[in-house]
Amino acid sequence: MKFTCIGLCLIAIFVTFPSCTKKDNFKGLSLNLAVSSQVKGMDPIYANDRYSSNEVARVYEGLLEYHYLARPYKLVPNLAESMPTVSNDGLTYTFKIKKGVMFQKNEAFGSEPRELIAEDFVYSIKRLADPKLQGLGWWLLDGKLVGLNDWRKKYSELPKADYSEAVDGIRAIDRYTLQFKLAKPFPQFLYALAMPFTFAVAREVVEKYGKEFLNHPVGTGPFAIKDGVFKQTKKIKYVKNLGFRKKKYPCDGSEKFKKEGLLEDCGKLLPLVDRLTVNIIEEDQPRWLNFQKGKVDFIAIPKDNFDTVIPDAKNLAPDYAQKGIKLIRSPSIDVTYTAFNHDLKLFRNVKLRRAMSLAYDIDTANKLFSNNQALPAQSVVPPGISGHIEGYVNPYRATGRPEQIAKAKELLAQAGYPEGKGLEEITYDCPNATVSRLTGEYFKKQMAQIGIRVKVQQNPWPELQKKITTRNIMAYGIAWSADYPDAENFLQLLYGPNRSPGANGSGYNNPEFNTLFKKAAVMQDSLERTALYEKLNRIAAEEVPWVFGVHRQNFVLRHSWLKNFTNSDFDAGMAQYLSVNKAKKEEMLKKL
Amino acid sequence: MNIYSYIIRRLLYVIPVLLGVCLIIFILFNVLSPDPTLIMLGKHASKTQMMELRAELKLDRPWFIQYIDIVRSTFTFDFGRSWSTKQEISEMIKNGAIPSLTVTLPAFLVSFVLSISISLFVSFYRGKIIDRSIVFVCVALMSISSLAYILYGQMFFAFQLGWFEISGYESGFPDFIPYVLLPILIWVVLSVGPDVRFYRTIILDEVYQDYVRTARAKGLAESTIMFKHVLKNAMVSIITYVVIRIPFLILGSLLIESFFSIPGLGGIILNAINSSDFPVLKAMTVLSALAYIIFSVITDVLYTIVDPRVRLK
Repeated sequence: MKFTCIGLCLIAIFVTFPSCTKKDNFKGLSLNLAVSSQVKGMDPIYANDRYSSNEVARVYEGLLEYHYLARPYKLVPNLAESMPTVSNDGLTYTFKIKKGVMFQKNEAFGSEPRELIAEDFVYSIKRLADPKLQGLGWWLLDGKLVGLNDWRKKYSELPKADYSEAVDGIRAIDRYTLQFKLAKPFPQFLYALAMPFTFAVAREVVEKYGKEFLNHPVGTGPFAIKDGVFKQTKKIKYVKNLGFRKKKYPCDGSEKFKKEGLLEDCGKLLPLVDRLTVNIIEEDQPRWLNFQKGKVDFIAIPKDNFDTVIPDAKNLAPDYAQKGIKLIRSPSIDVTYTAFNHDLKLFRNVKLRRAMSLAYDIDTANKLFSNNQALPAQSVVPPGISGHIEGYVNPYRATGRPEQIAKAKELLAQAGYPEGKGLEEITYDCPNATVSRLTGEYFKKQMAQIGIRVKVQQNPWPELQKKITTRNIMAYGIAWSADYPDAENFLQLLYGPNRSPGANGSGYNNPEFNTLFKKAAVMQDSLERTALYEKLNRIAAEEVPWVFGVHRQNFVLRHSWLKNFTNSDFDAGMAQYLSVNKAKKEEMLKKL
Repeated sequence: MNIYSYIIRRLLYVIPVLLGVCLIIFILFNVLSPDPTLIMLGKHASKTQMMELRAELKLDRPWFIQYIDIVRSTFTFDFGRSWSTKQEISEMIKNGAIPSLTVTLPAFLVSFVLSISISLFVSFYRGKIIDRSIVFVCVALMSISSLAYILYGQMFFAFQLGWFEISGYESGFPDFIPYVLLPILIWVVLSVGPDVRFYRTIILDEVYQDYVRTARAKGLAESTIMFKHVLKNAMVSIITYVVIRIPFLILGSLLIESFFSIPGLGGIILNAINSSDFPVLKAMTVLSALAYIIFSVITDVLYTIVDPRVRLK
């Protein structure tokens, strides 16, 4: 009896304890986000993944940003007063930066607030180039700015870099004027200035905290880390930066967004919420359950829940619609593919590549691995950026029709391997994830239809990277997401001189493609450049350097109380535009 | 032998063992592993930057210098900074150990007390229906995957019934408590099955000994026999089983921490593996080895306390 009583008491304590903890009585607006990966830190120069760069962009800002409500994506001034003036030769970019922009308060500045000046950008860009820091975004500026590579090289052999040494390629002309001089034409340069790698940091703060700078983010951005110190934890808390400049919600945008009512907050001061909590929830189930409980404001639909949420692959299930949950779908600027190692003589045989592509039924792959929601890729450039050819159908793209299999067999015979005879077994390498393995098994099955033998080999990610770099690989499945919305970012994956360890992991090297790419890569945006991009895209399609996969789609659910949400491939800084209808949230939470 | 000289002698053995651990770490991470600079630089890695980064990380130095570096960091406990997060590793360990322990320590204690109690209880009723039923339940508990407990626990107790938090963590007492209750409960359920079977076997071994028969013949109460005599004699095996598990409590549980978003050492190890963060992995390996050695010494010393027949040599 005594044991029973103790047991019951313990259970009672266990069950009632959660309700005894302190209640959240915060009166302002709170935004609750969930991310699925660890955040590395808050130093802009190391923000080389989407999760870390999003966190960096809550506190820090750059000269430019993507217009929140414009599609196709468009760059607009952020800390710059206006878009830069560009010299006739396209090599000199001059920016005027906004006056009166203040860094967040910090002991490093003493008691006075500190204004952002052009020299802060000079310092921040040099930090990215500092060989002692090994910033992960250096590839963005490598060889692009006059003298910056020399500066980097000089100090790689010395114990410490001298930031006071002038570099011709990046100069503060006066307190508010900044000038970049490019070593060669690089039309994508402006995109670099919208990426967190180049965001402005204050020298005093970097010097005060030294190696601990990454845990003491002090920027000019809309949010500040609560208590001022970033901790490697599963919950990052931000508060509104009370000293944030008078930046306003945009009053213009694409028609689609106007119709969706995303301009209702036009002219309101940013950020629209007072508090922001980022929950790092690595597993799908808890992230999904937290969303359903209303503890997270929006979520990308986990793959395992897709059929429940969108049963007919088009509309949201009634259960969710009744709870006010909305579905937002948008194309992702990416491409998945199976790359061949072109160092091997075997894969320099274009007929073999075409035969393999024709044997691969992309429609079934789409159903199996992308819930039939992705767009089969006809070539390398995804929709939504110039260079993509609308309506183009790759002649070597298959949908599983018998005549395509017959054609594949014919091409295989022409390649010198009738019914696969004489062709060695092809090893398909993929990462360890289950979906990757299943994709590999599907590839194996498809190739077996025409007599090609494939062995699927799973690898830890580092091992796969090593195999690609050391060229010790035959074929492998991989994906590429855009760094910036320009076809150059995709076409460079097939540019010969970019061979691995550069971005061209397959080592494809076509002199015609290389010549055209080299020409297009230095051209400013124009009809002529678009025509060149399209030509390159067509060459890629017909030469089949890879078996093209799909361009994926993003499916995001948001709660009815979350305002102004739209999906973006370049969502750094997005949180400042989001708002919450508190009354609606309280009402809807009762129904969840 | 004096207990203090024994401890000192055993602790001196730590030196060659740690040198061996360093050698294994060196072979695993510095010789056999793929180039970490590729992972760190990501999709835009270039040959030049990989070389520069290798130089910055001091991976371009002769192998014996790299080995000496590992030895030095092992004996000074200065593991440097994480390659991935750039955080001070000692800080990472300090910050991660506490959340891990807030789950594993109470869970360990509760499951220990519960398992011992159940084992004594079933041993008392050995061979009867209650004994068989409990053993059956234990085997059933062991047969279910730990992932099933986590997924079902989150779905039913946290999401549907709302008794617990689904996931998350708040630092500081008592804020963390609501977040660790369900992980603790799951840990206990996961541990009770194997633990009860193990303790039951040990206790039953003792129950059939002559001294128990003698005690019964003397007319001692069954509770006195079980708690005072049987449990005491079973302690040597129990201590071996329990104490050696203590260092691993600090390392947390990879699965539980991952699903419940607890910022413990388990998650740190998992992230380090995924990002080829060798300094963190080296630090965790060294600390695990060290903790294992220390706790095995503690186990030996405890033997002499619970069983006077055991002598330290």
